[in-house]
Amino acid sequence: MSFDPETIAAFVDGELDDPTARRVERAAQNDGALSAEIARHRALKARLTAHYRPIANEAVPERLRMSLAVDDKVDMSLTDRRATRRARFGAIHWGAIAASLALGLTIGLRPWLPVADVATDQGALIAAGSLAKALDTQLASNQSGDAAVRIGLSFEDKSGRYCRSFESRSLAGIGCREGDRWELERTLRAQSRGDYRQASSGELAAAAAAMIAREPLDGAAEQAARDAGWEHNR
Amino acid sequence: MRFEEELVELLPRLRRFARGLARHASDADDLCQAAIERALKSQDQWQQGTRLDSWMYRITRNLWIDERRAASRRGVHTPIDDAVTKVAGDGEAGVEAGALRGDVDGAMSRLPDEQREVVMLVLVEGYAYREAAEILDVPIGTVTSRLARGRESLMFYLGEAA
Repeated sequence: MSFDPETIAAFVDGELDDPTARRVERAAQNDGALSAEIARHRALKARLTAHYRPIANEAVPERLRMSLAVDDKVDMSLTDRRATRRARFGAIHWGAIAASLALGLTIGLRPWLPVADVATDQGALIAAGSLAKALDTQLASNQSGDAAVRIGLSFEDKSGRYCRSFESRSLAGIGCREGDRWELERTLRAQSRGDYRQASSGELAAAAAAMIAREPLDGAAEQAARDAGWEHNR
Repeated sequence: MRFEEELVELLPRLRRFARGLARHASDADDLCQAAIERALKSQDQWQQGTRLDSWMYRITRNLWIDERRAASRRGVHTPIDDAVTKVAGDGEAGVEAGALRGDVDGAMSRLPDEQREVVMLVLVEGYAYREAAEILDVPIGTVTSRLARGRESLMFYLGEAA
């Protein structure tokens, strides 16, 4: 008994109706050529499957996840607690946290960084120059509209450090106080286009929401922390 | 589940499918990205209750075909890697049976587009013939004949013992 190649393929693919499949099975028991042909088809299928399987196990590149703005690493209960504050910043995509993180990890290679405002020390990105000065001294509650660096939120993160979000013409991010300097925990490129500026504020707010321990500092607490040199009195 | 969340879950498989079509990892991810953007834009065309995966595969495949056609209009030839060119000479006739033993990518890249997409959908992604026919918008008989030809070519290139 012989079967055409398409029937043999359909048998291997599980596409035959039961009676036909049983006929192929029975025939293969006594037909060496047929059973060899089935084995050949199965071998090809197994080979292709094995070849492509690892791709589905790879980590999905961040840029694809980002375009869907979903980040399952975010603690949703925290998200809920921050809902009120997030509303102040308009729509926030949680993928933005990943976005700013991804940028942060590669920022050392970015040629557009204003060199004078950022330095690196043993792999850590440190605020320098006018950025460091603004983070040291400038108060969100009392800053001029044309300040080169605008301070956004000041807050304590989960490890008890003071952190401040900022935005300048070329760079936006979050700096956290480590000893006597500000380590840049989140950085993203800022652009002067209005819509992007808004987007980056949203991204920073989302990143801050994921880092923050309690409420952000109000004007008085911000000033007190600054006057204490961003050190805790404990 | 949100539309976006379902899409995220599909991404690993969709990347695999795209890699089979576009072959090079960066091209494949570009294809996925374009498909995601198209899907988000045409979200209202997806009917709730129908399979999102089939819909996404169709979008991805159609974008790939569009790109292939545009490339051939520009006179860009399908890149075939050096190893394949070396054994293949100028044409398929120069390839000996089993010449690409072990080189699945090389063998796949030698299949015509319409065979490669069927091979990916049925043999790799595990779709039934009927489902593959729906994704590709062709009759089921077309799927079986393209699949049979694709299989024969692959077994020839890869030297699956006859």
